[in-house]
Amino acid sequence: MVTNVFSKTLWDQRRGLLGWGVGFVATVVAMAAIWPSFSNADIEAVMENYPSELLEVFNVRAMNTATGYLNAELFSIVLPIMFVVYAVGRGSRIVAGEEESGILAMILTMPVHRTTVLAHKAVGLVVGIGVLGLVLALTLAITSPMIGLDLAFRAIVFAALTQWCIGIEFGLVALAVAAGTGRRSLAVGVPAALAAATYLAFLAAQLVDQLAWLRWISPFHAATKGGPLGPDLPWLVWTMPAVGVAALVIAAPVFARRDIAG
Amino acid sequence: MNDAAIHTSGLAKQFGDVLALDAVDLDVQPGLVFALLGPNGAGKSTMIRLLVGLLQPTSGSARVLGHDIVADRRAVHARIGYLPGDFAADKDLTAGAYLEYLSGLRGGVDVNERTALIERFGLDPTKTFGTLSHGNRQKVGLVQAFMHRPSLVLLDEPTQGLDPLVQREFAEVVRAQRDSGNTVVLSSHVLSEVQALADRVAIMRDGRLVMDADVEELRTAARHRVEVTLEDRSDRVLGALEGLETVDAVSAVDGVVSFTVEGSMAEILRRLAPLGVERFVSSEVDLETLFLSYYGNER
Repeated sequence: MVTNVFSKTLWDQRRGLLGWGVGFVATVVAMAAIWPSFSNADIEAVMENYPSELLEVFNVRAMNTATGYLNAELFSIVLPIMFVVYAVGRGSRIVAGEEESGILAMILTMPVHRTTVLAHKAVGLVVGIGVLGLVLALTLAITSPMIGLDLAFRAIVFAALTQWCIGIEFGLVALAVAAGTGRRSLAVGVPAALAAATYLAFLAAQLVDQLAWLRWISPFHAATKGGPLGPDLPWLVWTMPAVGVAALVIAAPVFARRDIAG
Repeated sequence: MNDAAIHTSGLAKQFGDVLALDAVDLDVQPGLVFALLGPNGAGKSTMIRLLVGLLQPTSGSARVLGHDIVADRRAVHARIGYLPGDFAADKDLTAGAYLEYLSGLRGGVDVNERTALIERFGLDPTKTFGTLSHGNRQKVGLVQAFMHRPSLVLLDEPTQGLDPLVQREFAEVVRAQRDSGNTVVLSSHVLSEVQALADRVAIMRDGRLVMDADVEELRTAARHRVEVTLEDRSDRVLGALEGLETVDAVSAVDGVVSFTVEGSMAEILRRLAPLGVERFVSSEVDLETLFLSYYGNER
């Protein structure tokens, strides 16, 4: 059943994925279910009560369509945060957590290169996050006709892909920090701080014209540029996994050479 | 030198300000049970973790089965078995699934050998690791260390938590490993288990190797503690022993003269015989006392 590090990494995620999958379905269904009543409300009247900055940041003016509503309500903050939290939690556990509990030492005395072990874990993590992306896409695809959201299949795929990518970026950064340092606190703390900082940069870029350039350093810009529910998939989306892979490539030689605890 | 199972030269490891291992030169010949002895913190675990490639030497080098532990780590891993001092596995995997997982990572593990070891140690492979007692977890660790018939097995405090019956099985597995020409290195702070198992011992202290000797030689060179009582309760024994270099720690209390003897007893018996010995008690100083004398002297 479990005979290599990749399958082991997936197997270890089975309970987490089940729990998170249920959470994703519930969140998406709940938000989508509100749409019919939301669409009937007098949006213009509601919006008058919002500060204009907020309308801009969350693209609230587009909320008169189901796509705009979901982009603003789900894809701007709720889903990215869920993906980042899952990815960072897992990414930190599968090296640093195992190292702190003494499990990793045994694995690293098997005749397998440490870099291979790390690659297996990374791919296992990416596939795990992908399962959540798939759950997201399926949930949207099934609820869309039921509630009358009229989402294009293409848009659903692009949106799920985008969320997968933001998960990959932060998950691999967490894994890279874990591999480089062996410390779970850092493996959670560094990507969490990065997520907070880049989210602030994303907000600042939208609110202050002089800071507009900041959006280029923020994965949240990359994750929302195309909607993410939208007809196109901007190339910027691919910068997210690229950053994650780059972090891992930097960490791999450190991991191959450093002392292992336990 | 190349056919040594382990060869280290100036092997050192520093953790921050702490010098855990201080330039150790060690050779372990194949086909032996080799024991690393010493109190906690002596550097035994550091030594073993360096040899299995989990730690990088601060200076010096080591070859295990002819392979450099840094440059050729995977070749070392393919031929060794290792049991960490604090063996841990995934709590929600069954013992059987965990052993299968490690077999998958190793490749080429004989299922029959694995099953035989599981049965030998009386391990229930269907139980999840998290539900196993410390002793049973240790059995999982022992099975994985031996299941691929490694040329060298390094065991860090292997008998911790094992009941006497399993300890006996363990001793037999270790002897079988040695008898088939392979090597076993084990660390311990319990001398008695080592005394029965090991062919050679190295005593470690404060990160250094203070002694490296053959167990059999140690026994023959070991000191005896002698108590002599003469019929007339006099201490004429003291005079008779004068000038004997093999005699040490002489004392006389109420007509009972006691002393230690290193090596042969022949000359002493010749000198004592005419004095009218009423009682003569000789006891072997065990390795434990010998061991303690190494620690006691230098502190």
